[in-house]
Amino acid sequence: MTAADVRDWDPGDGPISTPSALRAPARSAGDPARPAQALPPLAPDRGHCAPDWSEVVEHFREGLIVCDADQVVSHLSPVAERLLPEVAPGVTLAVAGIRELFGGDNPAEFTHRSRRLRVRRVPLSAGRSCWYVEDVTESVTRADALLAERARSAFLAVVGEKLGNPLHPDRAAAAVVRLAVPTLAEVAVLVLAPRSGRARWWRASRSEDEAPTVDSGVLTSAQLPTAIEEGLAGTEPHAVGWLVEQAVDAGWLPGLGTHETSARVVPLPGHDAPAGVLLVARRAVRYYDEADVDLVRAFAARAGAALTTAVLYRDQAEVADTLQASLLPVEPAPASGVQWGTAYRPAQAGLRIGGDFYGSHRLTDGGSVFFLGDVSGKGVEAAVFTGQLRQCLQALHRVESRPVRLLRLLNDALLETTQAHGQGRFATMVLGTVRAHRDGGLTLTMSGGGHLPPLVLRSSGEVEQVGLTGMLVGVVPDPRIGEVTVRLEPGETCLLYSDGVTEARGGRRGDELFGTERLIGALAGCQRMPAPALAERVEQVTCDWLGRGDHDDIAVLALRATGPGARTSRHLHSVPRPPDQRESDE
Amino acid sequence: MTAPTAEASPDAAFPGYLDCLAEADEYAAIDVALGLVDAGVPAERVLLDLVAPAQAEVGERWARNEWSVAQEHAATHISERVVAAIAARANPRPTRGRIVVACMDGEWHALPPRLVAEVLRLRGWQVTFLGASVPVAHLVSYLHRYDAEAVALACALPMRLPHAHRMIEACRRSDVPVMVGGRGFGVDGRWARRLGVAWAPDAPTAAELVADERALRRVPPAQLSHLADDEYAGLTKRRGELIDSALADLRDRVPGMRDYTGAQMDSTVSDLGYIVDFLAAALYVDDESLFTEFVQWLVDILTSRGVPGAAVGATLHHYGAVLHDFPRAGRFLAAGAALIPVPSGAGRR
Repeated sequence: MTAADVRDWDPGDGPISTPSALRAPARSAGDPARPAQALPPLAPDRGHCAPDWSEVVEHFREGLIVCDADQVVSHLSPVAERLLPEVAPGVTLAVAGIRELFGGDNPAEFTHRSRRLRVRRVPLSAGRSCWYVEDVTESVTRADALLAERARSAFLAVVGEKLGNPLHPDRAAAAVVRLAVPTLAEVAVLVLAPRSGRARWWRASRSEDEAPTVDSGVLTSAQLPTAIEEGLAGTEPHAVGWLVEQAVDAGWLPGLGTHETSARVVPLPGHDAPAGVLLVARRAVRYYDEADVDLVRAFAARAGAALTTAVLYRDQAEVADTLQASLLPVEPAPASGVQWGTAYRPAQAGLRIGGDFYGSHRLTDGGSVFFLGDVSGKGVEAAVFTGQLRQCLQALHRVESRPVRLLRLLNDALLETTQAHGQGRFATMVLGTVRAHRDGGLTLTMSGGGHLPPLVLRSSGEVEQVGLTGMLVGVVPDPRIGEVTVRLEPGETCLLYSDGVTEARGGRRGDELFGTERLIGALAGCQRMPAPALAERVEQVTCDWLGRGDHDDIAVLALRATGPGARTSRHLHSVPRPPDQRESDE
Repeated sequence: MTAPTAEASPDAAFPGYLDCLAEADEYAAIDVALGLVDAGVPAERVLLDLVAPAQAEVGERWARNEWSVAQEHAATHISERVVAAIAARANPRPTRGRIVVACMDGEWHALPPRLVAEVLRLRGWQVTFLGASVPVAHLVSYLHRYDAEAVALACALPMRLPHAHRMIEACRRSDVPVMVGGRGFGVDGRWARRLGVAWAPDAPTAAELVADERALRRVPPAQLSHLADDEYAGLTKRRGELIDSALADLRDRVPGMRDYTGAQMDSTVSDLGYIVDFLAAALYVDDESLFTEFVQWLVDILTSRGVPGAAVGATLHHYGAVLHDFPRAGRFLAAGAALIPVPSGAGRR
């Protein structure tokens, strides 16, 4: 990038603010209302100029060439003489052979004897004219350097923004090469440090439109060019000639030949050894100078950090995922006559685990034990506690399947654990057993451990609250535990839910509790919904009520009596339904 | 219903399939769909020419107040089971990269993106469908964890566009190209263009677009300079206050409201909230038509449920008066109010 590409401002140190040569023609031709031109020209002979003007103007930074009506140079200031030594007094200006002085541009900017000159021509009285010549080499150089520096900072800012987020390692690698093109290179190749003898590479090449094309592949360590190997060992090869040859030989530089290409290799800093190596290449018309190489190194530092972060993140996420998976609620095991429906939405969305839990285990007699509950606290610690609790149940249901006694055993087990660890955690839960009858109905025997009582959606479309009380689980040695038996006819559903549903805060101002009334209202008339749809409906109305508000963990477990047609066969179709109910629905 | 359908074309099977949905008969519906697949109809055609139009009809029936929400949900659940059954029967082997398909946060219309997900799967992509109302944090951590070539996000309600935009930006920060779809972006995808994101009108187009990473990345930037007037931010901040005042205004004008049940009251409040949310979304993308289309839809829905449109008109005028220092919002509200039919002599409810 050069100043001429982007310059749209005045460096500000000339005596007169002058637009650059690039913009001058458009301005003077198309914009007659330019303020500078609107001023009336100064009368050349004002007569009140007492000091010897030629002596004064000789100290101007601008040199002066005054010509008479015949273009013969009548006066030449020392500055002008130094800048344009071809010009001599007493002969026509044309003799000097400087074409730009007579060009269409006024002011004109051109390079003469390796100095950047800005010249403006002003007509004087009696057909004479004056050329003001200024040496702007330094300000242009400074402007170029400043603009190049700005472009580099802007580029690095974009890079920092794009690579600042933890990315998937493959995404990060692709992003690195994509960002390098076109600013740093026409072709950029990233080679990651080999793992077990295989090195993965990504390449971006400049294409017709803005977006570079990215491809990738794998090489064995033996196939790596020497320069890349050296880079991976942490050294930056400096003899660039054979580097290009190696890269071309490796087939990495499509469209670039050995002779017209300039290339560099920079290591990407990692934890101890480099995370990889970046090869940048472009046509030799834009050779990599010191500033360019510094920029490539700065880019490589950010890219190395991004790649290292990505790998670190992946490794940790792998561990976290494995642990999370063991803490996620397990979908209830299929049981004859029961259609299960579940919904689960933890408070911390990024975590996907929380303090609510549900599940079921099959009993040897064909029934199932099922449960839904909530432990004190939120987040990871709560989730870990639900894990302990579920493991306890997993073991205990094999020795005791009567709900009240099972809940009592669980209470003792939890009490022992929490006392041993001094955690002071407790849980609320509903735990029950379900058994299918020959007529398609279900009998549910449920025990309550301080949890919200279940709801039953009858085939009439009405919702009943089940009277079930009890004390918290894991607090006192001999808690009071309620028990209730519910009979579900085919098509009827029992719904267990956590307080994340009824205590969801939303409404007009976001502070009103959702409450049991609204939940019952949302379920009423939904008797024909399959259990999964019903559970999702509860989740949905709760989340709609919350709006954008925060929420506690939400868990729903629905059990629907599917009826005797509970099918494994695909040839039985319609669920028998009382005719009056069908009318009331449609 | 028991015999497999003889006509092996989605069009011919459509009426029978719709009956299965009406009867909430999951197994019969699956039989109809699998019958077509077994008769040689490509799985993609069954999804797009049978399941999708049937689901559209379900939505229409709800809008016309012919079906309750419960019936709609049950039918949707069955459609999902049918999609799962077709997917299991086709069971394509993935040969291409991973695509993540998800509903925007707060968006529960999961069937259309599910259909897109299955079409992509049938075309060889390895598809992860994250389901309804996916929280941004969940989506982002998934993208960090698994390398996805693209994310397809669905939004059925334009009201969620501001959040959709946040979600799109979050995906972009993970350097994963984003494609969106759904009616929420407008029938012609104009609001997707406004948000600077690639849009596909249907599943086949989505399948083509997702294969072209450069096209996904080559979208013009978002045009949201109008947000500088702070009307969107101001409106969302005053949401609660606006609903309160509109409710007070309604109480004055509609004496019958004193006898409203809790549920009627809740649905009135949520309708008042929808008006504010759609207005906010219209301000966000600076498009009057987003709001007027919504007003037309709301009037149709309420009319089919016996509520006169004039009630909506009065609320729009009320919001207009309260938001007197919001020029863009005022313009949108006036345009919305202009659509409301003039009340006849009959008494208002």
